[in-house]
Amino acid sequence: MNPVEAWLKAQQSRIRGPLNLALVLGLANGSLLILQAWLLAQAIYLTAIKQHALSAVLPWLFPLPPIFVLRFLLVQASERVAFDAGAQMQSELRAELYGRLQALGPLWLASRASGDLANRVATGIEALQGYYARWLPNRALSALLPIAILVAVFPADWVSGLVLVLTAPFIPVFMILVGKGAEELNQRQWRKLARMSARFLDSLQGITTLKLFNASRREARVVAEISEAYRDSTMKVLRVAFLSSVILEFLSTVSIAVVAVLIGFRLLWGDMTFLAGFFVLLLAPEYYLPLRSLGAHYHARMEAIGAAEGLVEILQQPVPEQPRGDVPVLDAPLGIAFRGVDFAYEAGRPALTGVTFNVEPGRVTALVGASGAGKSTVLNLLLGFAAPQRGSILVNGHDLSGFDNAAWLARVAWVPQRPHVFAGSVLENIRLARPGAALEEVEAAARAARAHEFIIDLPQDYDTRVGEGGVGLSGGQMQRLALARAFLKDAPLVLLDEATAHLDGQTQAAVMEAMGELASGRTVFMVAHRLSTLSLAHQVVVLEGGRVAEIGARAELLMRGGIFARLARAHEAGVTT
Amino acid sequence: MKPRAPVASPKTADFWRVVRLFGPYKSWMTGGAVIALATLLANVGLMAVSGWFIASMALAGLAGAAMNYFTPAALIRFFAIVRTGGRYLERLVTHEATLRLLASLRVWFYEHIEPLAPARLMQYRGVDLASRIQVDIDTLDHVYLRLLVPFGVAILGLGVMLAVMATFSVRVTVSTGIFLLLGGVALPLYLQRRGSRPGQRLVESRAALRTAAADGLQGLAELRVYGAVEGQAQIVGELSNEHIQAQRELSRLTGLSQASLGLLANLALWCAVILSVPLVKARALGPPDLAMLALFVLASFEAVLPLPQALQNLGEVLAAARRLFDIVDTLPAVTSPAQPCPVPDETRLQIRGLKFRYAEGSRWVLDGLDLDLPAGARLAVVGHTGAGKSSLVQVLVRFWEYQEGDVRLGGRDLRMFQPEELRRLIAVVSQDAYIFNATVRENLLLARPEAAEEELVEACKTAQIHDFIVSLPQGYDTELGEAGTLFSGGQARRIAIARALLKNAPILVLDEPTEGLDGPTARDLLEAIGKLMEGRSVLFITHHLEALSHLMGEVAVLENGLVVEHGTVAELMQLNGAFRRMRDALLD
Repeated sequence: MNPVEAWLKAQQSRIRGPLNLALVLGLANGSLLILQAWLLAQAIYLTAIKQHALSAVLPWLFPLPPIFVLRFLLVQASERVAFDAGAQMQSELRAELYGRLQALGPLWLASRASGDLANRVATGIEALQGYYARWLPNRALSALLPIAILVAVFPADWVSGLVLVLTAPFIPVFMILVGKGAEELNQRQWRKLARMSARFLDSLQGITTLKLFNASRREARVVAEISEAYRDSTMKVLRVAFLSSVILEFLSTVSIAVVAVLIGFRLLWGDMTFLAGFFVLLLAPEYYLPLRSLGAHYHARMEAIGAAEGLVEILQQPVPEQPRGDVPVLDAPLGIAFRGVDFAYEAGRPALTGVTFNVEPGRVTALVGASGAGKSTVLNLLLGFAAPQRGSILVNGHDLSGFDNAAWLARVAWVPQRPHVFAGSVLENIRLARPGAALEEVEAAARAARAHEFIIDLPQDYDTRVGEGGVGLSGGQMQRLALARAFLKDAPLVLLDEATAHLDGQTQAAVMEAMGELASGRTVFMVAHRLSTLSLAHQVVVLEGGRVAEIGARAELLMRGGIFARLARAHEAGVTT
Repeated sequence: MKPRAPVASPKTADFWRVVRLFGPYKSWMTGGAVIALATLLANVGLMAVSGWFIASMALAGLAGAAMNYFTPAALIRFFAIVRTGGRYLERLVTHEATLRLLASLRVWFYEHIEPLAPARLMQYRGVDLASRIQVDIDTLDHVYLRLLVPFGVAILGLGVMLAVMATFSVRVTVSTGIFLLLGGVALPLYLQRRGSRPGQRLVESRAALRTAAADGLQGLAELRVYGAVEGQAQIVGELSNEHIQAQRELSRLTGLSQASLGLLANLALWCAVILSVPLVKARALGPPDLAMLALFVLASFEAVLPLPQALQNLGEVLAAARRLFDIVDTLPAVTSPAQPCPVPDETRLQIRGLKFRYAEGSRWVLDGLDLDLPAGARLAVVGHTGAGKSSLVQVLVRFWEYQEGDVRLGGRDLRMFQPEELRRLIAVVSQDAYIFNATVRENLLLARPEAAEEELVEACKTAQIHDFIVSLPQGYDTELGEAGTLFSGGQARRIAIARALLKNAPILVLDEPTEGLDGPTARDLLEAIGKLMEGRSVLFITHHLEALSHLMGEVAVLENGLVVEHGTVAELMQLNGAFRRMRDALLD
C-alpha cells in the first residue's frame, strides 16, 4: 500500500464507530435480500411447477411488502450513517489542513500558489468524502455480504456454492493487477490538474498584460493545448478504470452463466428441485454485486488518494517552532536592539549579516537602502515571521525569540508594502485591527489615515464591499486602508513598510502628517524609499547588501558625505531640475 | 470576512443552450448513446432468457421430455458478450465525446473572456475566472453523460422492453409500466425539485469556501498581526460546514432515491407475480414464462436506475452554466470597426475635447482633454491621483471606449483601427506589469515570440536586469513562481522595460513606472527607461516630479480631467501655478 493510502486508512480510526454501524446496516439489508429471494422462489415454484392457485401462493407473497419497506429504510439509514462519517472527516481534516497552512506562516506561503492551496482546502478535502463514505463501507461489505450469500446457497445447492467460491478470488486478483497501474496514472492526473489550474489562473490574472502585447489571442492556443493534453491524459486514466470494470463484469457474467447452465442441466436430468435452482439463480447476481459496485467506488478511492497526496504533503510539513513563552510586561514605548543578527531565507543567500543597532523608546527609525538591501527582512524578523539564525533582537532587554508570536504581535501595528484587502466591507477591513471598535472609532482612524475622503466616495462608503469580488482599490487606497488599521490598533510598536509608496504629492504630505501623529509616543520603524519622508525620522539606518552601512541622524549622515549623502544629493537634483 | 455567494438564477433556457454547444460532437454523442442502448437491452435479455431457460429445463426434466437447449444457450452467450463489450465501449465513447467537448468549451470560454479584458472583467478576480473555466466547465459533462444519454436510452429502451413484455401479458406490462413511470419520471421530478436548491448551494458554497481560504492565506501576514488568524480559521470552518450541509442534503436525497428505486422494482415484481399466477393457472401464460417475466420486470428497472440522480444534478449544472453564460454574454467595452483602416506609418497623436467616464452617470474622468504628441516628441503628464492620467492610457490602448471628443493617430480617428493593430504601435510600461508563473525567457518572449536569443540578452542588458538573470540558478530558464515572487518590485519593472524594448513600438507610454520603488532603485530604473525612450514618441505619466529631470520635453498638468497648464518645466515654474504648488509640496 502506498504511504498516502496508509495515511488515509490511519485517519479511519476517528470514525470507526459509524463505519461499523454502516456495515451492520448493510448486512441486515443483505440478509433480508436472501429471505426475499427465498420467498419469491417459493412463490414461482408453487405456481410454475406445482400449478397451485393464487390462494395457495399468497402466504409466501404476503410477507414480502414488509420486507421491501424494511429494506427501503435500511438503505437510507446506511447512506446517512456513512455520509456523516465522511462529513466528520472532511470537517476535521479541513480544519487541520487550514490550521497547518496558517501555522506554516506568511513566508512559507509566499513561495506557493495560493489558488492551488485554496483548491486543496476546498475540493481536495471534499474528494476524501468518497473514500470514507463509499469506498471503505463498501469494501467491508464486499467481503461480508458474499459470505452471507454463500451460507444461504450451500444448503440449497453445494455445486453452485462451489462455483461461486472458486470464481470469487479471480475478481480481486484482476482488480489488483489493473488497479496498480491505474493508481499511478491517477496520481499523475491529479498533479496535471493542479498544473492546469495554476496555468489558467496565471493566464487570467495576467490577461491585461497579455493583451497589451497582443498575446491574449495566442493564449487561446495555449488554453487549447493544455485542455487537449488534459483530455488525453484523463482518457488514459479512464481507459484503465473502464478496463478493470469490464473485467469484473466479464467474470461475474461468465460465473453466473456457469451456475445457470449447471442448474439447468441438473434440472433437466432431475437431479435438483426447481425451488433450489431458482433460489440460487436469484442470488447469484447478488453474490457479485458488492464486488461490482466496489468497482464503481474504486474511482472515489483513486480520486481520494490523488487528492490526499497534496494534503499529506502539507500536513507533514514541519511547522516552524513557535515559542510559547509569555511576553513579559513591557513598558511602552518599547526599546529595541538588534545584536549581530544574521538571517538567510535560504542557505547561501544571506539577507542580513551582523546587523546591530539600537532604537530608543518612542523614537522613529528609518530604514534606507536599495531594494534587496534587507529592509523588509528587518521587518519580517520584528514581526516574528522568521527568527534570526544568529544574534538576537531584544525588546526592552528581553529576547524576542522567546515570545509567543501572537502575544507579541498584539503590540505591533504594521503597514505592509502590499497590504491585503480582504473580501468584505471597508468597515470590516479596518475593524480587523480591533474587532470591537465602534463605527466612530473606525471613522476616526480612517480620517487620521486620510482614507476617509476616498471611502465616502465609494458607492456604499464604509459598507462598500472590497477585495475578492468587490470594488477594486488602487495601491494608494489600499495603503491608506492599512494605515487606518494601524491607527485603530493603537500599538506601541509601529512598522511602516514604504507606507507612502503609492501616494501622490498632496496625499503624501497629508499622510506624512498623519504618520507624525501616529509616531508620537510610539516606537516606529519606517522603511523609506523617498528621502522626503525621512523628516520624521530621529535616526536613519542605511542598509547595503544586508549589512548596516551607516547609522545616525539625518543631518549627521548628510554631513558625513557617505552613501546616504550621495542618495540625498541625487534626490535633490531630481526634484529641482 | 465572508465573501458573499454569487446569486445565479438558473433557467431552463440555459439547459438547451448548453445542449446546442454540443453540435460539433453530435456523431460521437449519438454513437455513445446507441451503444448504451444495445448494452441495456442485452442485459435485460440475458436475465429474462436465463429465467425462462431454467424453468423450461425443470419442466422438461419433470416431464422426462427432450428439450432444445441450444437456442437459449446461444442467446445467453450472445447477450452476455454484447453486455460486457458494450459496457466498455459505451463508457469509452461517451467519455471521449464529453472530454472532447469540454476541451473545446474551455477554448470557447477563453475566447469570450479575452475581448472583455480588462474593462469588463474588473468585477471578477482571476481565481473566480479560473474556477469557471475549469470547475464549471467540468460540471457541464453531466448534461450529456448523466442527462441526455440516460434519458434517451431509458425512453427508447423501455419502449422496446414494454412492447416485448406486452406480447406475454398486457396486465403485467401495464402494472410494470406504472412502477417504471413512478421511478423514471415522478421520482426524478420530485428529487429535482428538492435537490435544485442544495445543488446550487453546493456550487456556491464550494466557490465561497475556496475564495475565503485563498483570501485568508494571501492575507495571513495581516491576520497574524491583528490576531485574527483563528477568526479566519473559524470563518473557513463555518463555510466548510455550509458546504458539507449542502452535500448532506444531496446525500439524503441520493439515499432516498436508491431506496425508492429498490422499493419500486420490488413492488413491480411482486405485482407482476400476483397478476401472473392466475394466468398460469388458467394456462394463459406458460409456466416458464412466469419465471422469465419475474426476472424481466426486475431487470427492466436498470433503465431508470440513473434517472433520479440525473435530474438531481440539474441544479448544479444550471448554476455552473449560468456563471459561464453571465460572462459570455457580456459585451466588450470596445468593438472592432467593421472595415478597419490600416494603421498609419506616421504616429502623430492628437487629442481634442476628449471626454471619458467609466459608467453612465458617473463623474467625467477626462473632461474635454486636449493634448498633442508629435512623432518622436516627449510629453510628461503630471497630476494628482484621480486627475485622469491612467484613464488616458486605458483610452489610448483601446481598453475602454471614450464617449466624446476626437483622438487621432496619424490624422485618423482611433476608432477606425483594429484595436490589436493599434496596440502594436504602443508599448506600455506601468506599475502593475504582470510577471507570469513561467520562465524568465517565456516572460520576455511574450513581447515578441520570434525574438532571437541575442535580442533577449540585448534588451535585458539595456534594462539592466541581465546580470541578475544570469545570477539565477537556471539563468533565463529559471521558473519565476506565482506572480514572479522571485523578483523584487524594481526587477519586475525591469522585465517590463525589457519587454517594451523587445516590442519595439514607435509610441511608448510610461504609466508611473517608478511607482512603489525606493529612491535609488527608481533612479536606476529611470536610467534604463532613458534608453528605452530613445527614438520613440513618449507619453510619461507620473506624479513623481523627480522623474521629470530625465525627460527633456514638455509637461502637461492634469487636474480634474483637464489640462490646466502646459509648457517646459522652466516655463511652468515661472507660471507659479499648479505645477509650482505640486513641486513645493514635495520639497517641504
